[in-house]
Formats: sequence, structure tokens, C-alpha cells
Amino acid sequence: MMTGFQKNCRVVRELIRLRFQNLMMFRLGFFGPFFVDGSMFAIQLLVFRAVYSNIDRIGSWGEGEVILYIGTFSLLNAVSMVICFFGVIDIAPKIQSGEMDLYLTKPVSPLLRLTFEKVNPGSVPLVAMSVLIIIYGAWKARIELTAGKIAAYLFWFAVMELLYYFMEVLMRCIAFFTVSTAKMERLEEAGLDLCMKLPGIALYGVWKLIFYCFLPYGIMATLPVQSMVGEMSWKLGLFGIAVVGFFGGLTCFTWKKGVRRYNSASS
Amino acid sequence: MRKYLEVAKTHMKAQLAWRCDVIFNMIFTVAKILFAYLLWGIIFKDKSDVSGFTFHGMLSYYIVSSFLSQLEMSDGISAEISARIRNGTFSNYMVLPVNIERYFMAMEAGVAAFYFAFDLAAALAWIFIFRIQFVFVQSAFVFFCALLMILLGMLFMVQLNYFLGILTLKYQEIGTFLMIKNNLIALVTGTIIPLALFPEAFVKGMRLLPFYYVTYLPSMLLTGRCGQEALPGLIVLLLWCLALQTVVANTWKKYRIKYDGVGI
Repeated sequence: MMTGFQKNCRVVRELIRLRFQNLMMFRLGFFGPFFVDGSMFAIQLLVFRAVYSNIDRIGSWGEGEVILYIGTFSLLNAVSMVICFFGVIDIAPKIQSGEMDLYLTKPVSPLLRLTFEKVNPGSVPLVAMSVLIIIYGAWKARIELTAGKIAAYLFWFAVMELLYYFMEVLMRCIAFFTVSTAKMERLEEAGLDLCMKLPGIALYGVWKLIFYCFLPYGIMATLPVQSMVGEMSWKLGLFGIAVVGFFGGLTCFTWKKGVRRYNSASS
Repeated sequence: MRKYLEVAKTHMKAQLAWRCDVIFNMIFTVAKILFAYLLWGIIFKDKSDVSGFTFHGMLSYYIVSSFLSQLEMSDGISAEISARIRNGTFSNYMVLPVNIERYFMAMEAGVAAFYFAFDLAAALAWIFIFRIQFVFVQSAFVFFCALLMILLGMLFMVQLNYFLGILTLKYQEIGTFLMIKNNLIALVTGTIIPLALFPEAFVKGMRLLPFYYVTYLPSMLLTGRCGQEALPGLIVLLLWCLALQTVVANTWKKYRIKYDGVGI
């Protein structure tokens, strides 16, 4: 007899297969996301190159650490785009149009289907580009790469990727309770845009509180980098886990409440 | 001329329908100021001068450039034209007894006029909230040149976006290119960081391009810098506007016959 996990794995595999078939029909925009986000992160690198040609350090970070930060943010974004981004962004329109019915009536978790139904292999080159940026950043920062540091980095990267996913879903679950989520999505965009350019170590006071606790985009790339450069303390680690746990719980709660509240096309 | 004034007025009034958007637009102007405040705040802790900028000079630059970039909303024009050509509803514009490019210019003027007061209020609020000792130009001549340059810059951006939009007649799908263009525009107009921080050779090259004069130079002029570039800047930008107008006219003449009104 098939376990729930095995069943979900089969569903995910099938969704990916269907997505590939669909992508082969519309090949025109296949690498579009790579070029758009690739240009964005390349511009970030140029910007910080220009900044560092005038200064030596931003807080405790030199140019290498900031490149590592940009690479990490790019990788978080790229992995999300490959796996779930294009599926998750459809949550709000599907709720508003009543199309969510089609997901709720299928014998598979609606969130699982929404997460994996629009995988985007066109963003895979962005993953490769991000990894190259990270390697260059580590080299520039003269970080001695040990197995421990790489493992710590990968652990925090995986944890923060989860947080990234929770935030994406949470922002769109609001559509279950409101007429429009445009403002929430704009808030997400503004938070991401700011924290993409600004490492968490540059935040202080009330801004640190906001971008570490309420809109935790500030910790997403900062914690993996801090784990690699040796700035991670156990307190910071515990805080990071607590934030991910809290937002994971909040997303779960909001999704479940939202699905119960959902009343089809009139939502 | 009167009909374009009516178009501008109509679009100005239409903004009142989305009052919440106006408020959010005002609030979100803080993102760029906040980025500058936090990034440059930590940098200026150890230094008093970066590439000729003081901390308050730098924040004044961001206040002005953020205000100007917020006011310049013509990127929607290319997206609108592109979408309408693709779904076949561009005919709505073609049947109007107006010049379509001028229609979009009037539309942009109406929207910008509406947002002007709100964006100005937001900029003043951020100066007060972030306690910025705002640096402002003293020369009336430079101030006048900066105002002219802002208007010409907005005109150039409308022309550019209109041009990119009508390219859909030939290339069909330009959405990805438009998104990349938006990323690049943010860099080359100096809204992410002042172009003065880039190497001299890069800045020299940028002076030949129109984007230098859209947001960056007016912001520098209004914060009392680069006064000697005001007049040459106006001439360069005017030449670019004239050149682009010729390109737009030729492109429209060449490709409008490809439009069949049924979508792609």
C-alpha cells in the first residue's frame, strides 16, 4: 500500500512531467526569468563594485562578504523560481476567480499541487550563476572553505529557503480574507527589493526589528553568509530557527483557516 | 492641442478612482530613502566624505532622485501598447482621431501632474522624518535648467517607451526585454546609486547617453552639484529627443501596416 509520502512524490513527479510538456509548447519565454533576474543580480554586483571602489567596508563586511550575500540572495530566489515561485504567485488570482475549486476537489493537497505545478527549468542557469557568484564571493573574502563551513552554509540556506517559501505563500493566503492582495504583494516586493540590496548587518534599531522579526527578509541571506564567515552565534542560530518555525506555523494556520473560509467564486 | 489637454485632464481625474493606490505610492517612496539611509548611514559612520558627497548631501540626492523616478511612470506605456497589440485591442487607440504618441504624452502629463503634489509631500515628509539637512541648489539659472531637463527627460522616456511598445508590431513578444530594460534603466539613471560613484570613464560614456539626464543630472543639479553640466546637458537631451522622434515616426510608418487587429 502506498504511503502518503510516496503518493505525494508521484504527484510531484507527474506535475513536473506535465509542466515540461507545457513548456515545450511555449518555448519562447523559456529563459526569460533567467535573463530578467540575472540582469538584476548582475546590476547589484556592479552597484556594490562601485560602492566598494570608494570605501573599504560596510560595517564588518568587505566586498567579498557582500558578493557572497548577493549570490546567496540570488540563489534563494533562483531555487524558489525553479521549484515553486510561478505556482505560488497564482494562489491569489485563483482564490479571487474561484479557480481554487479545481484544486480543492482533487484527491491531492492543493498547496502541494500549487507549489509544484509550475516548476521552471528556465531558471536553472540562474542557480548556476548564483553558485558562481557565491564561489567568487568566498574567494574574494578569502574564506577558507572547510566541510564544516560548507555544511553550515547549506543548512542555513535550506532553512532560509523554507522561510522564503513560507513568506511567499503567507502573503498570498491573505487573498482568502481580502478582496485584493495587491498591496501585500507590493509590500513583499518592497521588502525583498530593500533586503536584496542591503545586508542584514547594515540594519539597526527599529528597522532591524522589522526586517528580522515582522518581514524577515533581512535574515534570509544574512544568516547563511554569517554562518560561512564565522559570525554566527548560537543565539543568532536559535533566533533564526525560531523565526522560521513561527512563520512556518503562521503560514500553515493562515492557509488552513483560509481554505475553510473559502467560498468559491464569491471570495 | 485642446483635445490633448482633455486627455491629460481625464487621466488626471481617473487617478482619483484609486485613492488607496495614491497613498501606497506615497508610502512606498520610503523604500529608496530607507535603503540610502541605512546603507550610507553605516558607511558614513567611518567616513565624512564619499566621492564628494556628505551624508546629508547623499540623502538629499536620494530624496530628489526618488521623487523624480516616482514621478516618471511611463514604463506602463510600453506594457500597455504591447499587451493591446498582442490581444488585438490596440484598435481602440487607432480609431481615435488623435496622434497616438501625443495621446500617451498627454496621458503621462496628466498622471504626473496628479502625483506631483503627493510625491512632493512624501519627499518633504521623509526629509522631516529622517531629519535630513536638505541640500538645495542656490542658482536660479541652474534650477530653471534642471526643471527643463526634468520635463525633457520625461518626454524622452515617454518616447522611448512608446517606441519599445510599438516594436511589438514586429517582434510580438517583448515582455522579457521590457523587464530587463527596467532593471537597466534603474542603474543608468542613477536611482540605485549616484553615477558619480562609478569610474570616471563610465561616467564619461554615460554623458553621451540620454539616461544620464533623465534622473541623475537633474538630481545633482537640484542638490547644488554639476552646475557646469546644466546647459550642455539640456542640449544633449534635446538632440536625443529629436533623434528618437525620427526613429519613432519611421518605425510607426513601417510597422503599423502589420497590425491586423485580431491579436497574436
